Amino acid sequence: MASAIQNSCIECVSRSDRLFCDLPAETLGAFNRIKTVSAFSRGSILFREGTPARGIFLLCEGKARLSVCSESGKRLTLQIVGPGEVVGLSAALSGTPYEVTAEILEDAQVAIVRRKDLLEFLHDYREACLQVVHLLSEDLHVAYDRVRSVGLGRTRRPRVAHLN
Amino acid sequence: MRADRIFCDLPASALQSFETIKYATAYPKGAVLFVEGQAPRGIFVLCKGRVKLSICASDGKTLILKIAEPGEVLGLSATVSGKPYELTAETIDPCQVNFVKREDFLRFLREHSDACFKVAEQLSEKYNNACHEVRSLGLSHSAGEKLAKLLLEWSSKNGEAAKQEPRLKLALTHEEIAQMIGTSRETVTRLFADLKKRQIVQAKGSTLVIRNKSALRLLATNG
Repeated sequence: MASAIQNSCIECVSRSDRLFCDLPAETLGAFNRIKTVSAFSRGSILFREGTPARGIFLLCEGKARLSVCSESGKRLTLQIVGPGEVVGLSAALSGTPYEVTAEILEDAQVAIVRRKDLLEFLHDYREACLQVVHLLSEDLHVAYDRVRSVGLGRTRRPRVAHLN
Repeated sequence: MRADRIFCDLPASALQSFETIKYATAYPKGAVLFVEGQAPRGIFVLCKGRVKLSICASDGKTLILKIAEPGEVLGLSATVSGKPYELTAETIDPCQVNFVKREDFLRFLREHSDACFKVAEQLSEKYNNACHEVRSLGLSHSAGEKLAKLLLEWSSKNGEAAKQEPRLKLALTHEEIAQMIGTSRETVTRLFADLKKRQIVQAKGSTLVIRNKSALRLLATNG
């Protein structure tokens, strides 16, 4: 079922369930102004590992796969992201190349924000900055879990008996 | 001190605020700051000395993720999210650390957006490192490849990168290096012996000299 592109953050019914989107009205309005929304079909590449970070991509609808690649072309999945999640955030923030390749798995509606506009937005809207810190922490937890499973062959943290 | 750099380009009011919430502490070598799986008490800003960050399996197998240097904020993602510490942090030198309690830190971030931004930058760097580790651990074929990568990484610090024959100080034992690349101590010892025999590296006390950088690079890319 094809659905019309949801262009306005203000009218989006999903926004209160989503970490990034749950911002005060004025902040959300500002974000709405700096984003452009596009549709991406399954198989499209949002960005490639190692390329300069142009901006962030917020998945309004759909799914994407984040992966890393060896010199020989072997690919390893880091994470599958779904609606409400942001990709490319750490690279866009620090101005370093994208650490992963993002590929669309399910037809998606993506809100794109250019790096320059994002940085200005964060400068002007403090709560968004804290939101970004929370998002990055979540990303980091996922990455550590992947390190754990790849390096030790486990996916869950061991339960630790309480010390002192 | 270097570590204060993370919060030192901030306006005076933010700095003053930070002063009131930090607890400056000294730790000897071998002290554990926090353990993987523990509820997060707060962040540890490393001012002086180095800290080993590792992940552990229930059978005792350990993976050393990295050696943290002064300037790094430890326990950051856990403190922000409230989830358990991801890593175990153990000092490998006598260290000076600024501890900040979780609630104080979160309030500080809410009140000072510049600090918030710096924290975002550091989280980004950690994410970058973690992705690098995933690639390295998951996609490298052999221990030889991973060791070569590690030596190249270490030899590119402290201005050595441009040199024909960069030097690095081996701060870790063969056992610890094995834990960093996910192999056994015996394999690491064997690999070093092999590198020395082929004159790719040369040991001068605790300093390692990379004699043949291009050979090492070749080893790092196809094992």
